[in-house]
Amino acid sequence: MSRAIAVEAVAAELGGRRVLDGISVDVGTGEILGVLGPSGCGKTTLLRLMLGLLAPVAGEVSLDGLLASAPGRVVVPPEQRCLAVVFQDLALWPHLSVSGNLEFGLAAHGVGRAERRERVAAMLDRVGLAGFESRRPGELSGGERQRVAIGRALVGEPRAALFDEPLTNLDAVRRTEMRRLLGALLRAQSTAAVYVAHDVRELAGLADRIAVLEAGRLAQVGTLEALRMAPATPFIRSLLTEEERS
Amino acid sequence: MSVLQQERIVFVGAVLILAAVVLLPFATLVAELAGSLVGGEAGAAFELLGSTRLWGLLGSSLLRAAVVTVAALAVGVPLGLVVARTDTPGRRLALVLHVLPGLLPPYLLALGWFHLFGRQGMLGSEASARLLFGESGAVAVLVLAFAPVATALCVLGVWGMDASLEEAARVVARPPRVLTRIVLPAAAPGVALAALLIFALALSEIGVPMFLRVETYPAAVFARLAGIDYAPGEAVALVLPLALLALGLLAAERRLAASRDYAVLGLRGAARPPLPLGRWRAAAAAGCAVAALLAVAPLVALAGVARAGGGFGELSRWAGGSVTVSLTCAAAAATASVGLGIPLAYALARQRPHARLPDALAVLGFVTPAAVLGVGLIQTWNRASLAWVYGSLAIVVLGFVARYAAVAIRTCASLFASASPHLEESASVAGAGYLRRMRRILIPLHARGLLAAWLLVLAFCLRDLESAVLVYPAGREPLTVRIFTLEANGPEPVVAALACAQVGLVAGVLGLLSILIWKGVRR
Repeated sequence: MSRAIAVEAVAAELGGRRVLDGISVDVGTGEILGVLGPSGCGKTTLLRLMLGLLAPVAGEVSLDGLLASAPGRVVVPPEQRCLAVVFQDLALWPHLSVSGNLEFGLAAHGVGRAERRERVAAMLDRVGLAGFESRRPGELSGGERQRVAIGRALVGEPRAALFDEPLTNLDAVRRTEMRRLLGALLRAQSTAAVYVAHDVRELAGLADRIAVLEAGRLAQVGTLEALRMAPATPFIRSLLTEEERS
Repeated sequence: MSVLQQERIVFVGAVLILAAVVLLPFATLVAELAGSLVGGEAGAAFELLGSTRLWGLLGSSLLRAAVVTVAALAVGVPLGLVVARTDTPGRRLALVLHVLPGLLPPYLLALGWFHLFGRQGMLGSEASARLLFGESGAVAVLVLAFAPVATALCVLGVWGMDASLEEAARVVARPPRVLTRIVLPAAAPGVALAALLIFALALSEIGVPMFLRVETYPAAVFARLAGIDYAPGEAVALVLPLALLALGLLAAERRLAASRDYAVLGLRGAARPPLPLGRWRAAAAAGCAVAALLAVAPLVALAGVARAGGGFGELSRWAGGSVTVSLTCAAAAATASVGLGIPLAYALARQRPHARLPDALAVLGFVTPAAVLGVGLIQTWNRASLAWVYGSLAIVVLGFVARYAAVAIRTCASLFASASPHLEESASVAGAGYLRRMRRILIPLHARGLLAAWLLVLAFCLRDLESAVLVYPAGREPLTVRIFTLEANGPEPVVAALACAQVGLVAGVLGLLSILIWKGVRR
C-alpha cells in the first residue's frame, strides 16, 4: 500500500511553545487513520501540518512520496495538496448555497460548469441531500450541515480527507448514523482519511488503525484491538477503559 | 428593586436622553414648519423649494456623494483586503498612514493639496489649479478623505470572520480566489455600511466644496445661517429635502442591520498567518505605498508651508483657546456618548426587546446631514431661557452627541456581543444585580475596548466642522472652525501650522487607538 500522507519526525510550535514533537505516522491509500488523544495533545496541529496550513519546525511531510513540508517552510501550498478538510465547526461558507459550497473547490481546480453540476448532484444524492442545492447553510439542521460538510470534502475526490472531530455537536444517534455514512462513502471512493477524535467510540468500526497522541508525542499506533490487547502506556489503558466504562 | 427593574430603568433613562438630544431638533423643525403653514407664512418656503436651481443643486450634491462613495469603495475595499489578510510588506504602516486622513476634517486635505497643486503650489501650474478648483478636484479630495472609512470597515469585517472559513477554502483554492470569493463576502456587511456612511459624510461635507469653489446644497443652508445670504427661515425650508433623505438613509441602514449580530470586532482573524500573494505581492506593496503617499503628501505640504513661513512660531497666538475648546468638547461628548452607549449597546448585543429603537435613533443622528441637525439645534435651543445652553459650549457637545453617539453604541455593542454571555450569567447566578454586573464584570472586562470606543468618538468630534460651525458660541470656536474661518484671509503659514496642530491631535488619538487594537489582536 503506497503512503498517501507520510509524516516523518515532525515537531511543531505554537506561540513559541512546542506542541508536537517527533511524530512519525503515515496513512496508506484508501486507509482510515484515527488520531486519538485528549484535548490539547496536538491532534488539530497535526492535521494543520498535513494540510500545509502550518510549517513544521522539524521533520517532513510527504504526499505520495513527494516532499510537501520541510522545516520552516510549506513546499507544496495547501491548495495543491489535493486534500480536503472538515473542521469541528464545519466552516460552511454562509454566503454560498449548498451547491455553491460543493462547487467552490471544483471550480478552483478548473472543473467545467457542466461536470461540476453533475458531480455535485451525484454527491448530494449520496449524502441524502438531493433537492437541497439552493439552500443556504443557515437554513439547514445540524445533521444536514454535517452532510454538506462531508459532501464538500469528498466531491473533489481528494488524495485524502481530514476530519477534525466533525461530529462533536451531534447527539449519539445522529453521530452513529453520520459515522456509518462517512465510512461507506470513504470506502466506496477508496479515499484515504485521517479522523481526529478524543473519544475512542468515535473511531470504533471506522478507523483501520489508530494513532494515540499524548502530550504532543506519539504514544502508540495500531488497530483498536491491538491497542486494547497491549496498551503501550498506562495513559492509553486509562483512555480506552474510561471510554468503555462511560 | 429587582434586577429586571434596574436594567429597565437604566435603559429607559438612556433612551430618553438620546431621544431628547437627537429627536428634539427634528421635532422643533417639524413644529416650525407646521406653525408657518398654520400662520400662512409657508408661501415663501414653498416658493424657495419650487426653485429649479435649488433642486439642480441638490441633484448635483447627491451625484457627487454617489461618485465619491463608489470611488472610495473602489480604493478602500481592495486595500482593506490586502492589509488585513496578505503578506504584503509594510501593510501595517500603510494602514495607519492611510487611515489618518479619515480622521481629519477633509478641508485640511484640500488645503494641503492646494499647497501642492494650486497655481503657486510646490508642484502647481495653471492646469493643475484648474483641475483642483472644480468638480474633479472636490471629488478626488473627498475620495481620499473617505476611502479610509471603507478600508477600516473592510479590515474589521475580515478580522472578525471565523478563521476556519478561510482555511477550509485555502485547502482547495489559491490565495487570490480565497480573498475574492470567501474573505470579501465575509466583509460585505461592513462594506455596505461603509458605503452608507461615506454617502452620508460626503453629502454633509461643506468645507471641501466651499474651499474648492464648488456649489453644494448643504453650503446653501450654511450661507443662510452664517453667510451673506442670512435668512434662517429659508434655512428651515431648505433642510426639508435633506431631512427626508436622512430618513431614507436610515431605512437603508435598518435593512443592512437586520441580519447583523454586531459581533464584528472579534479580531480573531488578525492573528492567523497572512495569505501569501506570490507574484502579486510586489503590485500589492506598490498599491499600499501609493495609498500611504497620497495620505501623507498633503500633510507634508502643510508642514512645509508652516515651517517655511514661520507659522509654528505664531501657533499659540493664533490658536487662542481653540485647541482647549476642541479637546474639552470632544472629551465631554465622547464621555457622554460612551456613558449612554454602554446600557444601550448592552441591550442591543443581548437582543433585548425594543433595543433597536435607540440604535435607530442614534443612526438617524449620524446619517442626518449636519445642516439639518445644526438648524434643528439652533431652532430648539436658541431661546432666552436656554441661553445657558445655547451661549455655552454645551450646544457644541449636544451636537456632537447627537451626531456621534451611534459610533459609541455600535462599537460597544460589538464588544459585548463578542464576549460569552456566560461570563455575566455566572455573576448573575452568584447573586450580582444588573448594576453590579455592569460595574464589576462587563466594564472591567471590556475596559480596553471601551477606551477604544471613547477614543473613536473623540476622533470623530475632533474632526467635526459641519456641526460645530453652525452652533459654536461666539469667540469659543473649536480648532476646526478656527482654521476654516482663517482659511479665506488668514496668513497661509499660520493656517498651515494650525492644520498641523489638528493633525497632531488626531495622530495622537490614532496612535493610542492603534496600540489598543494591536494589543487586542495579540491577546
